[in-house]
Amino acid sequence: MKNKIELTVNGKGHALAVEPRRLLADVLREDCGLHGVHIGCAHGACGCCTVHVDGAPRLSCLTFAVQCDGKTIETVESLGGTDATHPLQQAFRKHHGLQCGYCTPGFLMALVPFVDAKVREGTMPPEAEIRDAMSGNICRCTGYQGIVEAVQDTIGQGLRSQGTGQ
Amino acid sequence: MRPTEFAYHRAETIEHALALLAEHGEDGRPISGGQSLVPMMNLRLARPAHLVDVNHLDMARIEEDADTIRIGALVRHETYLTHPLIARHLPAMLEAVHWIGHPTIRRNGSIGGSLCHADPTAELAAMAVLHDARIVLASTGGRREVAAVDFLKGAYVTDVQPGELLVEVIFPKPTGPHVGTFDEVGERLGDFAIGSFGVRLEHDGTRVRRLATVCGGARMVPIRMTELEAGAAGQPLSALDPVAFGQKVTAMVSPSGDFRASAEYRRNLIGELASRTLQRARDQAMGMK
Repeated sequence: MKNKIELTVNGKGHALAVEPRRLLADVLREDCGLHGVHIGCAHGACGCCTVHVDGAPRLSCLTFAVQCDGKTIETVESLGGTDATHPLQQAFRKHHGLQCGYCTPGFLMALVPFVDAKVREGTMPPEAEIRDAMSGNICRCTGYQGIVEAVQDTIGQGLRSQGTGQ
Repeated sequence: MRPTEFAYHRAETIEHALALLAEHGEDGRPISGGQSLVPMMNLRLARPAHLVDVNHLDMARIEEDADTIRIGALVRHETYLTHPLIARHLPAMLEAVHWIGHPTIRRNGSIGGSLCHADPTAELAAMAVLHDARIVLASTGGRREVAAVDFLKGAYVTDVQPGELLVEVIFPKPTGPHVGTFDEVGERLGDFAIGSFGVRLEHDGTRVRRLATVCGGARMVPIRMTELEAGAAGQPLSALDPVAFGQKVTAMVSPSGDFRASAEYRRNLIGELASRTLQRARDQAMGMK
């Protein structure tokens, strides 16, 4: 049996018929063609599949698409396109925040709201707070240091551009 | 892996949810944040034929009356971190919540879901036991309250009967000055704990009025060290000896070993955590921070 749902994904409407057991991650990849949604563990341990549902990060492997009827979803594709122009994506490149790149979409979708919130607050968080913000995401290539530096760099840029912080 | 087939029902009211759960009995399961249930379904360890989505029900409030704090089943873990009632009345909970999963899990997971999942070292289960919380279960037949220690029956086993929905958790307020601490050790930040310990200390500034404890990792459910609690009541705060307390806890617990930690390591870890949490609670009570 299939349920009819409507999703707004990266600003585009999708009317879909889905089996209730299908994960949001699978529907985004297979029905919406958004292959930036990566599935690592499918049980909430790795964070690769993080997307935004109604503006807040959520693990799309722990969400059934049928639960998202009427909701607004953003995936990594909404950030900086295939050129990866978002400041955090650029900072990942500059600071070696990725190697194989499999985990990167999850890190970006978990960290972009964190970076935005810190810039709005006008504060550079201590490293421990950055590491806590990314504690739900696993990276097996970088050792995380480059990702921490990318976050610090991006928050620093945001603070300078609005004339707050150092 | 992916879940087995199920039918999805979005409940619009509590009565609607209870009717759906009554209709589907053993085959029905409520879903809220899904942070515990969906992994179990993806691994096919849980195979509900009917999923009743309760996320839209009016059960997401934290309220107080004269003697209690009432936490709705849908309250998300991150809520406690900034809620004034929690900071004032349940300080141990404030410390425990930092250890639950990761930010994304804390944003979506609910207290009802966590308690019904009943992982042996889940922080909220430990908090329910530490604070003598009462669990409110509703069904089409009415409501009943169960003490947290009776609700948690074993690893992933609770007192929830087919057709029942956890709707609220009632935490008694402490009477008079009090402090609370919690600490745990896991393999990775956000993983389930290898061992944990929590303390709640009610005092009058110089003496212990009441000590409550909770220990995670020693058994398949969080346990109280009732003998040590009774021994501390009435003692001067300055007479509380954290090192001796930790040694007694180590001697009293007999955890099992597994792939994450040997029984011996876990026993000593729990004793050390007991010592540290009691020391911090004592120092806070004595105004030493």
